[in-house]
Amino acid sequence: MDLSGDVTALVGAGILLTALYLQAESFVNPVIDGIALQSLLLAGLLAWLAYREGSLDLALLAAITLAVRGLLIPYVLRHQIRSYRWRVRERLAAHRVTGHALAAVAVAIGAWFIFQETLAAAFPQPGAGLAFVLLAEGLLMLATRTNTLVQVVGYLEEENAIVYAGALFAKGLPLFVEVVVFLDVLGVVLVSVILSAQRTVIGSPEETHLEELAG
Amino acid sequence: MDPSAQIVNVLQAATVLLLSPLIAGIAARGKAWTESRRGPSIFQPYRDLRKLLRKETLRPIGSSIVFVLPLFVAFGTYLVIAIIVPVITAYPLPYGSAADFLGGGLLFGLAGTVTLLAALDSGSNYAALGASRTVSFAAFAEPTLIVVFFAVAVIDGTNNPYVTTNLLAGSTATYLAPTHLLVTAAFLLLLLAETGKLPVESAGLMELGMLEEGRAFEHSGRLLALFRWNGWMKQFLLYAVFLNVFLLPWGFVPGSTVLAAVANIGVLLAKQVALVGGLVLLEATLAKVRLFKIRDFLAVSFSLAVLSVFVFVVLGVP
Repeated sequence: MDLSGDVTALVGAGILLTALYLQAESFVNPVIDGIALQSLLLAGLLAWLAYREGSLDLALLAAITLAVRGLLIPYVLRHQIRSYRWRVRERLAAHRVTGHALAAVAVAIGAWFIFQETLAAAFPQPGAGLAFVLLAEGLLMLATRTNTLVQVVGYLEEENAIVYAGALFAKGLPLFVEVVVFLDVLGVVLVSVILSAQRTVIGSPEETHLEELAG
Repeated sequence: MDPSAQIVNVLQAATVLLLSPLIAGIAARGKAWTESRRGPSIFQPYRDLRKLLRKETLRPIGSSIVFVLPLFVAFGTYLVIAIIVPVITAYPLPYGSAADFLGGGLLFGLAGTVTLLAALDSGSNYAALGASRTVSFAAFAEPTLIVVFFAVAVIDGTNNPYVTTNLLAGSTATYLAPTHLLVTAAFLLLLLAETGKLPVESAGLMELGMLEEGRAFEHSGRLLALFRWNGWMKQFLLYAVFLNVFLLPWGFVPGSTVLAAVANIGVLLAKQVALVGGLVLLEATLAKVRLFKIRDFLAVSFSLAVLSVFVFVVLGVP
């Protein structure tokens, strides 16, 4: 039995499942928990690959993923959300579970076909299309959600897709590149938190509330 | 034809017929415990049946044969399903090849549709409300069922439930494969919706949804007994399929003898009681969703089913 292939597939399915959960979840707190879980799954996969390959780079990457994406960034986001008043931190009416869940499935299938038509020949590894699908799911979150914090989570999902692709294609990108990506993510999160903090004037991270101020 | 196989066939149908009220009784008792009530005896459904079978049957003015006949058709259909799906054997019985998963699904659909006709023919607004609501949500549940069948076909290359049972029981890798885990989760959500469990429906003391209960408003006496019995048989069969094909395909006493089949009745009962216990705990932790949110619940179930097939395509593993 090819245990390594099975573990990669199982974790890949788990990552895809968390992507669907993120799309279908209306509340911000569980969305943050969801991206933390997705990052932990990714860190687990990286640790498994590091063990299998005997690679120190991948082991470090797994540790960074666990610390930054699995723990630090979710902590910062959770801390941020507490500053918003109850019941105004998310606008539930803007999120339709059925629509978003079905859109997530449609986008996944569409992204898979696009990958097959364009990149599949260059990246024949099993599961390579999953990274592309995850990227599309992150983009969908950015495009369809109106909450700043959820949009940050969408961006994190895109970055998870890049790390997953790196782990799958090249047995891990050079550590330097990965560190730069993580700093990039950390920077975006910090900027987003500052932007969100400015919105405490209206007490909500929802973009739609800002529209009410338009002259 | 092997006479012992015919005996097992009859035994299987009798198991569904006679034990389905018991499982409903155990579920009601378990639910009462979680609500700090003593609850009715686990044999209460049998007493209810006896009471209803003795009572006078009334028919609304203007109702036709459609008010009566569909319940008998549904009763017969569930008995037919009972001899073609794996209930107390892991090997196909003489009529096992008569229908695969899709055929079984169509038979469930037939029973559900004729029951709706019986409700509509009553002329009651409440029964019609229950029927229309049931159809509204069934429209979202059916696609999930179809995709679940696709996923099963992906796993074992056929839609025969007996093949799936034996394949999953014999291969841990296939059992733990993402496609199987996801399709099991999708089927569980569907099971909750189809059997009227929380968070979709709360039948009994806190009837709110008017889905299952609403349809039987105008039926009384023997017809109501048949209505209830049909519901319990449907629940028993769906539990049996979920347990024997998806969740717990192990534990069958090997052999094709009548004695082995009798022993398997005990095994099935133990599995069903464990499942009922799990569902009771699940119900104790969940609140009922609002009526229009049931669509969201079923959409997630559908998404999981599609994802199970998608995972196979993307990752290349069952």
